[in-house]
Amino acid sequence: MGSAVNTFERIRKLMAEKFGLDESGLTPEESLETLGLDSLSVIELMFSIEDAFDIKLPDEPVPLKTLQDVVDTVDQLITEQHGKS
Amino acid sequence: MANRNLVAVTGLGVVSPLGFGARHFFSALMNGESGIGRIDVPFVDALSTKIAAQVRFNPDEHFSKIRLNQLDRVSQFALVAARQAMADAGLEGISQPERIGVYMGCGMGGATSFESGYRDLFEKQLSRISPYSVILTMNNAAASHISIEFGLKGPNQTFSTACSSSGVAIGEAMRTISHGYADCMLAGGAEALLSYGTIRAWEALRTLAREDADPKASCRPFSKDRNGLVLGEGAAVVVLENLEKAKSRNAQIYAILNGFGNTSDASHLTKPDSNGQARAMRMALEHSQISPESIGYVNAHGTATQVGDETETNAIKLVFGSMACQIPVSATKSMHGHLMGATAALEFVAMVMALKERKLPPTMFLRDPDPACDLDYVANAGRDAPKLQAAMSNAFAFGGSNAVLVASRA
Repeated sequence: MGSAVNTFERIRKLMAEKFGLDESGLTPEESLETLGLDSLSVIELMFSIEDAFDIKLPDEPVPLKTLQDVVDTVDQLITEQHGKS
Repeated sequence: MANRNLVAVTGLGVVSPLGFGARHFFSALMNGESGIGRIDVPFVDALSTKIAAQVRFNPDEHFSKIRLNQLDRVSQFALVAARQAMADAGLEGISQPERIGVYMGCGMGGATSFESGYRDLFEKQLSRISPYSVILTMNNAAASHISIEFGLKGPNQTFSTACSSSGVAIGEAMRTISHGYADCMLAGGAEALLSYGTIRAWEALRTLAREDADPKASCRPFSKDRNGLVLGEGAAVVVLENLEKAKSRNAQIYAILNGFGNTSDASHLTKPDSNGQARAMRMALEHSQISPESIGYVNAHGTATQVGDETETNAIKLVFGSMACQIPVSATKSMHGHLMGATAALEFVAMVMALKERKLPPTMFLRDPDPACDLDYVANAGRDAPKLQAAMSNAFAFGGSNAVLVASRA
């Protein structure tokens, strides 16, 4: 769980930088759409996450509705691609 | 022409190298100020041309960060100009948005976004580029953002005829209202192409002005020592309205847009043709039902190239004959530079303000009269025009598309 918290914090910081969002308002259950991220912005976010976490997203789009979905997907990819969470 | 709806100009918006807002812009023109100077773009040191008419603009003052991700500089200019025009026309709280459309002119779309995408691909060797690339660069983005921001559901089109793009947009918007397809149109142009690659491309054409000892005076239309155009950027958006509807809501009316002429030279991509230009001027006059004798001012295309200024001078003589030397003609590009796809709209605003204020902006930096350009160019100082009733604005483009607008006092 420790690393998941870390993942969340890092993604939160990234989103604040990228989209000018208030970090303190970004909670795990918040929907990306409510935050003002349309489908292109979600792709932009995931591209930045790929670079920041050194992971590769699958070619097939992953359904992502909330910030928690993003965190879970990233943690899963880290485990798959780097062997640890 | 019978029974067509007359079209009023009821709102003006300007984002220019001379500042924001139509009144501010026009007063800078009347004062002979120049927005031309040293530019600030990446790799400027490698450029031979280090001058342009750049807009001093802080996007964060106008848009949230999340929105800016999807707005190229060209759309930022367009939106800020459209906001001014909407507010100026008092069009907040629109009742019939499906009767309001948007026509914009644009030459190069999101030019700086194209360049940064290519740099990512070719210079940085990245395997992917921004997912916003397509929507940042598409030529119709500016017009679409305007429709979306204000919920305008009428026709939405983008015209790309190089330097006459926004003249065509305004003329076609006039037709759309006069033929009854819309009651109101936001029309104009936007351009933001001051990037290393684009300036290099223009340098290769050998049409850019050399930097003068006084950089502000580098663009000198109709002066014998002129040596080229100065690239500019910005946006101008006007609100055009069915005159009767504008009157019924007690809108302020800046001017009446009476005529539009649009012709093609069909001769050469870059060499202008007096005959094609003259046909556009005559067509606009005929459409306007205003006699040539009534035209008291011409805002010239006047880019300050050797061939362009002489060709336009000859075209004006073809249309106005012996009267040509009595008609004040000015090239405001001497001050705001050449805004390409936005230039005709910005110059249309200059003409509309001239009609409203009955003042003629000058052609600045006309140091040395050229025997081949022998009209009254309102040289170096603006003047009052207490009897001004009607005026003409010319825009002529690479590709040979000529767009001329004729307007009169309300």
